[in-house]
Amino acid sequence: MNKSVQKLMFVMSVLGAISTLGGCASPANREAMQAAPVASLHQSEHSVAVRTSGGGDTGAMDSSNIADADFKSAIESSITQSGVFKTVIQGSGADYELSVSLVRLSKPLAGFSMTVTMEDAWSLIRASDKSVVWRKPITSTFTAGMGDAFAGVTRLRMAVEGAARENIAQGLKEISDLKL
Amino acid sequence: MFSGMPRVFPMLVLVAPLFTGCAVNRATATLDPSANLNTIKTVYVVKIPEDDGIVDGLIVKKFQSKGYTVTTGTDKPANVDALVTYVDKWMWDITMYMLELNITIRDPKTDFPLASGDSLHTSLTRKSPTEMVDEVVDNIYKQVK
Repeated sequence: MNKSVQKLMFVMSVLGAISTLGGCASPANREAMQAAPVASLHQSEHSVAVRTSGGGDTGAMDSSNIADADFKSAIESSITQSGVFKTVIQGSGADYELSVSLVRLSKPLAGFSMTVTMEDAWSLIRASDKSVVWRKPITSTFTAGMGDAFAGVTRLRMAVEGAARENIAQGLKEISDLKL
Repeated sequence: MFSGMPRVFPMLVLVAPLFTGCAVNRATATLDPSANLNTIKTVYVVKIPEDDGIVDGLIVKKFQSKGYTVTTGTDKPANVDALVTYVDKWMWDITMYMLELNITIRDPKTDFPLASGDSLHTSLTRKSPTEMVDEVVDNIYKQVK
């Protein structure tokens, strides 16, 4: 085997190692997106049904995205933990309908620190008369640095999860302030 | 045998952690349940200051083609039915191409996103800016009943 072929094989194996280190992305984890419980939030006696939209699956060749089902689960768990609503109901029959739409998820392509910005449209509707009780756009940002993870794909996923977690925390705080 | 390799290898290892992974084609759109786009007649496209007029112009034309009265500028007037904001991301691969476009229709009083669309297409399946604008706006209006 001549030198040029050996060099080519060496470079190919290194590129393969880089691909492994860079890796392919995994979707944002629902548990990691759950907001930390805050004791000072107002606890309503009403029930809520949660609906999410605008998210997307993470393909094998993609960067980390937020699936609607995972975001919905994270919001529901956050509500349950914080007590902002008494119960979370699946489907119809709740006192309120909370809709959270992912408007924009801004992610870097590369970098030592990964900063993700997320904008969601939050709207709360009274189920009895379909009146809009509250609606607001909420923007959140989270940065994951080299100290958080070595692999870029992992830092990006952590930044996406952090932005979602912060967005949920802000949204529930706003709802708590309504004193329903 | 590999006299040149030791210099290259550390560079490759240093560069590896920067990569976030691979990319793909994606198109999404949302419509807030409290929004009614059918009542909108006048639209203001908020131009990004860095925009040389290409993307802004395409968005204006698209909304005009849908029958709206469209104006554009860099401020945010309140005397229109809706504001349209956008974020475009470009990449270089032999030539510059539009990697991602996000368009949001907003309430002019509260900035609330009434509807939004996002399209991402990487180099091998790149689309022209016109095609990207058409795809995003058409996907938004597919949500409208």
